[in-house]
Amino acid sequence: MASPDFSLSVADCPLIQVEGWDGTLGQFESSLSTSLGTKLPASVGETVRHKGFLVIRVAPRRLWLALDDGAQAPSLAVDPDLGCSVSLDEGRVRFRMAGADIARVLSKCIAVDWRASAAAPGRAVLTSLHHVPVLFLRTGETACELMVPRSFSRSLSDWIADAAK
Amino acid sequence: MSSNHKRLSMGGRIDREQPVDFTFDGRKLAGYRGDTLASALLANGVTLVGRSFKYHRPRGIFSAGPEEPNALVTLGIAGRREPNLPATTLELADGMVAESQNRWPSLAFDVQSANGLLAPFLSAGFYYKTFMGPTRRAWMFYEHFIRKAAGLGRAGTDPDPDRYEVRHAFADVAIIGGGPAGLSAARAAAAAGARVALIEQDFLLGGQLLAEPSDSAAAAWLRQTEAELESSETVALMKRTTAFGIYDGNVIGLVEQRDPTNRQPVGEARQTFTMLRARSIVFATGAIERPMVFSNNDRPGVMLASAARTYLNRFAVLPGKKIIVATSNDGAWRTAFDLAAAGAEVTVADLRASLPAALVAEAAQFGVVVRAATHIVDLRGGHAVRRATLNGPDGQSEAACDLVCVSGGWSPTVHLTSHLGIKPAYRDDIGGFVPGAFAADRFGAGSMMGAYSTAGAIEDGHRAGTQAASFCGKSGPAPTPSKLDLGETAAAQLREVLPAGRGKAFVDFQMDVTTGDIELAHREGYESVEHLKRYTTLGMGTDQGKTSNFPALAAMATLRNATIPETGATTFRPPYTPVAIGTLAGRAIGHHFKPIRRTPMHDWHMTNGAEMLEVGLWMRPYFYKQSGRDVNEAYVAEMRNARQAASLMDISTLGKIDVQGPDAAIFLDRVYANGFAKLPVGRARYGVMLRDDGIVFDDGTTTRLAENRFFMTTSTAKAADVLSRLEFLLDTAWPDLRVAVTSVSDEWAAMSVAGPKSRAILSAAFPALDVSDAALAHMGLLESEWRGRALRILRLSYSGERAYEIYVGATAGEQLWSRLLEAGRPFDLKPYGVEALGALRVEKGHVAGPEIDGRTTLDDLGLGRMAGKRTGFVGDVLRRRPAFQAPDRQRLVGLECIEEGKRLRGGAILFLPGEKPYGHGRGRVTSVTFSPERGRYVGLALLAGDVASEGSEIVAVYPMKTETVRARIVSPVFLDPQGERLHG
Repeated sequence: MASPDFSLSVADCPLIQVEGWDGTLGQFESSLSTSLGTKLPASVGETVRHKGFLVIRVAPRRLWLALDDGAQAPSLAVDPDLGCSVSLDEGRVRFRMAGADIARVLSKCIAVDWRASAAAPGRAVLTSLHHVPVLFLRTGETACELMVPRSFSRSLSDWIADAAK
Repeated sequence: MSSNHKRLSMGGRIDREQPVDFTFDGRKLAGYRGDTLASALLANGVTLVGRSFKYHRPRGIFSAGPEEPNALVTLGIAGRREPNLPATTLELADGMVAESQNRWPSLAFDVQSANGLLAPFLSAGFYYKTFMGPTRRAWMFYEHFIRKAAGLGRAGTDPDPDRYEVRHAFADVAIIGGGPAGLSAARAAAAAGARVALIEQDFLLGGQLLAEPSDSAAAAWLRQTEAELESSETVALMKRTTAFGIYDGNVIGLVEQRDPTNRQPVGEARQTFTMLRARSIVFATGAIERPMVFSNNDRPGVMLASAARTYLNRFAVLPGKKIIVATSNDGAWRTAFDLAAAGAEVTVADLRASLPAALVAEAAQFGVVVRAATHIVDLRGGHAVRRATLNGPDGQSEAACDLVCVSGGWSPTVHLTSHLGIKPAYRDDIGGFVPGAFAADRFGAGSMMGAYSTAGAIEDGHRAGTQAASFCGKSGPAPTPSKLDLGETAAAQLREVLPAGRGKAFVDFQMDVTTGDIELAHREGYESVEHLKRYTTLGMGTDQGKTSNFPALAAMATLRNATIPETGATTFRPPYTPVAIGTLAGRAIGHHFKPIRRTPMHDWHMTNGAEMLEVGLWMRPYFYKQSGRDVNEAYVAEMRNARQAASLMDISTLGKIDVQGPDAAIFLDRVYANGFAKLPVGRARYGVMLRDDGIVFDDGTTTRLAENRFFMTTSTAKAADVLSRLEFLLDTAWPDLRVAVTSVSDEWAAMSVAGPKSRAILSAAFPALDVSDAALAHMGLLESEWRGRALRILRLSYSGERAYEIYVGATAGEQLWSRLLEAGRPFDLKPYGVEALGALRVEKGHVAGPEIDGRTTLDDLGLGRMAGKRTGFVGDVLRRRPAFQAPDRQRLVGLECIEEGKRLRGGAILFLPGEKPYGHGRGRVTSVTFSPERGRYVGLALLAGDVASEGSEIVAVYPMKTETVRARIVSPVFLDPQGERLHG
């Protein structure tokens, strides 16, 4: 990485996806909130941190539970009449990026406005990196993560490393 | 003559402390930092800089900006060579190498200038009329020579060593144009609290203010405003940046040039393509001065009046000593006064009979000769203008000159707003087109809106900047509008083309379009401006007709006896100025050309002799080098091993979709042509999806994991399309269905063990699992865990052999792959690549991408029975339309080479024996392979149903290699039609 003010590391990214059905979304969210022991993010892009995981609303009826490194997956029992869940334990990779140069590097990667409220710390944005769908997660003033499909991860990390030069 | 002999001893915005060396056509010249290539050439007395497109007429520098039609040069050498760049926009840098274009053997002596003698034959439409015969293909012959004779510069073929970048940027308010209106808008918007991007194509801010003397009030205002903006944390000053296009969502395409004077540009991109997303836009793009049309108005030494003033006051260059200023408005008089003050002998020839008394009085003070009601009808001179013929109240007269400044008024620069679909609206009071109605988030300011005075432009910019910021919710305390009054008076506009002399009178300098061409187009019925444009090529040069558009409209309006708005305006499209393809590509070249997908077993393949192949975005093993000397030898060996022992294939690339919900079975019943509702839990089924029009979309297997949950696989190529299609149907057609679809393609590493020994290998690899036929029947599912990760084994076959698809969590993929190879070693288990995979499926008669090609139906592929009499699925109705039932419709057949040693080729065209091999034939070969089972080449083909009787002979013609092969029509299933090997 050429820029001394930018770092990139790669880690696994275990996720659980939960989704509620249209028409019974309120019941689904209430049930899920109780099951997880935390409130849910209200709108797309909002996140809520809880013990060992982050709840991200990635679509109006879809949430991701992003597990912290080494954290146990919460036990979930989703009523099939209200929604469903699917484990996404293996399919994504987490790029952790940090440094004072991060906004400049990211400007060459994704169409996310680093200074916008939608990309403030704690917010998530579904976007694309070199035509590949990724989830941008702002984790700090000069830090963020990208959750990228595993099959593209090497290609995309190369892209970011080049952008940092 | 000494270098820079036309440079004044003082003044201008050049840095005389920083001399710059450059070459033009190999000649060493010098300029100063702050020069453009054009200003430096003029300072050195270079008036001839190019040759025209068609007639190869000598051309000089006409303007001082991006509207330049004449002075196009090629910059750089070897890989950095870039053609067709206006010298007027090139910032002079040390070591710059520029050369003129479209001339041979030299600029001064260009052999093809003889084209001028043929001019009477080279009128508009000449090519269309002349080179269309005697045969239909004749144009292909002529084109080569015509393209050599006419044209612009040539790009280099060496690899470009420079780096280009693409980036995203954001702003509350984007202001396009750094002239008085844009600067004022930026000041107001920034003061209101908006994040501002001020975009200026020049390397200096100021626009037309740069044409004012460097010690003037205008220069002071400019310095103060620029300093104010530079000190603002919310303003991004983007100099050397051209807004070349505006797109939906207020996305502005920008190209930023690297500072060419930076002597250490290590790592810096030569050009950066920025996609700027702005919440609101202020267009302050200015106006372009109109030329005047008269005979030989293209001679070197004819220049826009504003350009002459710019060269004088910005670059301290006096481009002529005996100057005629031909105009129809007050503005050009300021040029005359400044030129006279600099020592030139100046005559103003104003078209107007009644001239403003104040201007006439001022002219007297400067010693400027004034001729009212006078216009130029002709010019003389070869490589430089020498004499002008003037027509005035006293008839025609001659005047010596070495520079002719022309001004027919101004045309607002409405190109960028046109990109948004905003139709230009004609304003009679200014005699020009301004943008029509803006949307709420867009604003116009300054001369592009018809506010031609500096004071008016600043006021207008202030208003637009304030409103644009307010649109973004930024309404901080408004600053006091800054003021600058240069005392300009209204600019009258030339609205007609004047009578010219006998020589050619050019309207479009770059495309060599004359008034004669427009008259000819009119006579031949091309009255619409859009037709005029295409017939004459007017406005189709790299300058997009920036100076020619209005004069052409005026000429056509006169010919049609119509008004200018009745005549209409052409549509401007991106890019505003040419953009290099390399800039748009940015870093997406070489290994970054497209993102690459790697399977979990990729590294194993790379270190174990796989020759890799790009399949879509995926990297897949093509074949393994240990299997044979080349692909042909290897794939046959690999498929033999699969038939006789067992082989292992990486199938992680298959699309995988999790389908869940109480209505999942109903959903699958609708999207597949065959039914899934009754599929038992733990069983898999092959399924085919159709498009709405009844054409086959994709195929794959879907397994029922639970009552409400399915595991769908798709073809590698269609994975994303299928998921997108399923989401679309759920969102639009059946939002009432409670179903979730999720791509799990990257979740699973997948591998297939195929061959008669596959079960034994599975038993060895998973000793704790019961993989007997009773426990795991054909099309059955076994779910378990392997080393703590989910494991799915599906007994499916693509090759026709007993086979198992094994799915495990992606992170364990390589481990399991190695485990299987280890367990399979006693059974001769070997990996195989996609070439063998394709060969195995052809032998078995399975269709794939070459057959599911977006044109075939279920019946064409012999799969009609899968749908049977089912209804209610996507494509059901249109698959039964009569055209799909035609007896000569092509359907799937098998082909087998009759002659030993001959081979079939994919893409070969099929003809009946004795039939002349011409046209599209009766069908085509879609897939081929050498069949070890048959000992010859076999293939799948799509062949007209009325001639596709099994046992008949057909001829496969492959024109690319002039091969003709006799083949017999057979069943597409070459191997094991009873399917016994699946259970072997």
